[in-house]
Amino acid sequence: MTNNWKKLSISTVVLIIMIAVPMIIDLGTGIMNQLVTLFIYILLAEGWNLIGGYTGQINLGMAAFFGCSVMVTHFMWVAGIPIIVSILVGSLSTIILAIIIGIPTLRLKGMYFAVGTLALAQALQVIMQNVFNRSIAAPGNFVQAYNLSYRYYLGLAAVVLVLVAVYFIRRSKLGLAMVSIRDDEQAAQVTGVNTFKYKVISLLISAFIAGLAGGLYAYFRLFFYYTSDIFSLTWTFSAIMAVVIGGGGTLLGPVLGSIFLVILGYIFSLTLGQANLIVFGFLFIVVMLFMPQGFMGGADLFRPWLSRWRKKPGPKKSEAAEPANN
Amino acid sequence: MENVLQVILVGILVGGLYGLVALGFALINGVMRFINIAQGSFIVLGGFICYWIVTLLHIDPYLAIPMVMAAMFIVGIILYRSLFSPLLKYPKAEMRLDKSLLLTFGVVWMLDNLEILFWTSNSRSIITSYGFGTVQVLGAALSYTGLIGLGLAVLAAAVLHIVLTRTYFGKHVRAATEDAGAASLSGVNVQRTYLISTGIAVALAGLAGTVIVTSYSVTPGGGISWLLTAMVVVTLAGPGNMNFMIPAGIILGVIQSASTLFVNPAYQQPIALIIFLLIIMFRPQGLFSKGVKGL
Amino acid sequence: MLEISRLDVFYGDLQALWDISISVDEGKIVALVGSNGAGKSTVMKAITGLLKPKSGKIIFRGNRIDRLPPHHIVEMGICMVPEGRRLFPGMSVQENLEVGASPASARKIRSNTISWIYEIFPVLKERARQQAGTLSGGEQQMLAISRALMSNPRLLMIDEMSLGLSPVVVQDLSKIIKEINKSKKLTILLVEQDVQLALSLADQGYIIENGRIVGQGKCSDLLCDAQVKEAYLGMGKEGKTG
Repeated sequence: MTNNWKKLSISTVVLIIMIAVPMIIDLGTGIMNQLVTLFIYILLAEGWNLIGGYTGQINLGMAAFFGCSVMVTHFMWVAGIPIIVSILVGSLSTIILAIIIGIPTLRLKGMYFAVGTLALAQALQVIMQNVFNRSIAAPGNFVQAYNLSYRYYLGLAAVVLVLVAVYFIRRSKLGLAMVSIRDDEQAAQVTGVNTFKYKVISLLISAFIAGLAGGLYAYFRLFFYYTSDIFSLTWTFSAIMAVVIGGGGTLLGPVLGSIFLVILGYIFSLTLGQANLIVFGFLFIVVMLFMPQGFMGGADLFRPWLSRWRKKPGPKKSEAAEPANN
Repeated sequence: MENVLQVILVGILVGGLYGLVALGFALINGVMRFINIAQGSFIVLGGFICYWIVTLLHIDPYLAIPMVMAAMFIVGIILYRSLFSPLLKYPKAEMRLDKSLLLTFGVVWMLDNLEILFWTSNSRSIITSYGFGTVQVLGAALSYTGLIGLGLAVLAAAVLHIVLTRTYFGKHVRAATEDAGAASLSGVNVQRTYLISTGIAVALAGLAGTVIVTSYSVTPGGGISWLLTAMVVVTLAGPGNMNFMIPAGIILGVIQSASTLFVNPAYQQPIALIIFLLIIMFRPQGLFSKGVKGL
Repeated sequence: MLEISRLDVFYGDLQALWDISISVDEGKIVALVGSNGAGKSTVMKAITGLLKPKSGKIIFRGNRIDRLPPHHIVEMGICMVPEGRRLFPGMSVQENLEVGASPASARKIRSNTISWIYEIFPVLKERARQQAGTLSGGEQQMLAISRALMSNPRLLMIDEMSLGLSPVVVQDLSKIIKEINKSKKLTILLVEQDVQLALSLADQGYIIENGRIVGQGKCSDLLCDAQVKEAYLGMGKEGKTG
């Protein structure tokens, strides 16, 4: 129980820092931009993690949900609807896509879901390329009224909400079902779990979270040069990257992975230029092969060391007191 | 009427290529239960290798095929050694599926961006002296390159079929596909069988790349598009039905081609998506399967 | 011919076999019997190379085989008929046999071996082009045994031959096994739950229980042994049967 209070207090402290610091210090647009980008990545990663990390269904079409929400949010917002409503509508619109692709594919075992989501993302990208063969920009007055802090706090709020939601989902019947599906779908079915229903629910929530990311992006960036870039595979890859590096199937893994991604991306864009994507791909493969649990899994390797270092007598006692983190 | 015939015949030519594109993917998926998301990127790589061989050595692209396939075979060996064989420790098919999917996704990332780095993101294609020639069939014009492509596809599928049914190696492959453990106990070196199969699958990607670079063009990053085609064809054909890849490809090709009569030709991918959804909703075992199981 | 000494085998951290020692003499039929879960399959997996033992040795005709991969062990002359047959269902009877002749030495005499197989199992010749999955249980067992024989083994191991088969079929198979042992001087290791069957077929027997060898000796002696009778043959002071 003390473990949970510790985690809660650390989280609250972090949250307070994140709320207060930008109010007190001027971090500058550069850093603020990176932070908002970080929030977007965290949302995408947490979304992917829900269907991919917890439920074990590999989604190759995150970009479809993301892009769809960006478009819907943008047009609603530009039409005059308040941003928060626009984002919510944008996120809800992704659920339609999720239903279209999820219902036929989640029923079947094997690669159908992966193929289906990939096909959906590619199809949407192609459609966008043809239908919106131009840039999209928000009108001038939106540019004038732009306040980066709003984006920051909205992003922060979204991230906190999603993290809290995922935390409770993990501990709910849904969460249990999801993990059982990932570990052994057949066994889950035999124990009476309606695997199809839970896979679909998990996908819908995951799509909604991706939609939040998209909505935030629409609020963040007012100008899209190539509309099809919004539906680019890069978004999907970044989400998967963040989850794999940070640790799939954990609450904080996607957060860690996203932080890693943003920091590394920043360093690479200064030094390597185009080659940075190659390095990411290489890193991704290496992590998958040698550290499949990501950083969070790596933390398990450090824990016995840490506890032995902190409490000298009775190292066994502290190991026994640490329940499984998932 | 002529228009319809043209569209159908073109669809058949393209469909043959689609079947070829699917062959390598289906081989890896069928034999080892891995998903090679990078298959499309390997096809593009094959096209680029062909392009550079032709540009530097000034030989006919079709003569370059053995070189391209040999090079790609080696790429396949590297792929197996580095990424696939570590996955063999997972006995469950789902784990292999998921892990191979993610790993090869990473390969796509590396490969596509390496290609952009070395060769810029421009498309390349090879124009031969006969490249623009066409044959008139019943009032429809069929390109030489398209016909050669179809011919190569059918040839590759036929050779693969013969190898799988008449050679020792082929029987080892089929045995390992049905029950890898039992094959091992019967004396089959399953790992080596898998290794060579992967090499063959990637070599087939190289062949497809050659056809594509002569008939159309290759672009870094265009691999995913070809991968999608492969996946849809495999779904159409049904699981493990290597014999029906070309027919399934042709069906996809004809439907896509016919769709251009009604819809902007740019929308080929959404059409493929619709076909995919229809198949899995109404006949998930594929068009040519007798059983009811899925992939 | 086959010498297993002091074998300890683990599944991960779980120990399954303790200090197993089994000796199979050339030309004999040896039986390894025990109830379900006693460890018989584990012993087989260790011999065939599917499992690596943590300690102990397995020596076959003077060569150490406990670290070799399965296909290599087949090449050295040990072939197992797996529990549940594990045929290649989509391939024909003939093709199953052909795959069985994977080792180089077996490949050379392949056609001779197939002719011999078709002589002892004429029903297989009838069904040569038929898919293995469509055969009856008894026919499948015949095919499984034949497939193993195709590798030209010095030691044939049969895991749970009687499983799922009718007594008549089992009788026929037993006769053929005994015949092959005599005519080809083929050493056979039988693993069986059906203790009565195994001990009456074999010359030597080992009894395994909970991962340990608890009895061994000539089968004729074992069959008469009171403890064996009570534990495995269902004949006891209480008058239990089956």
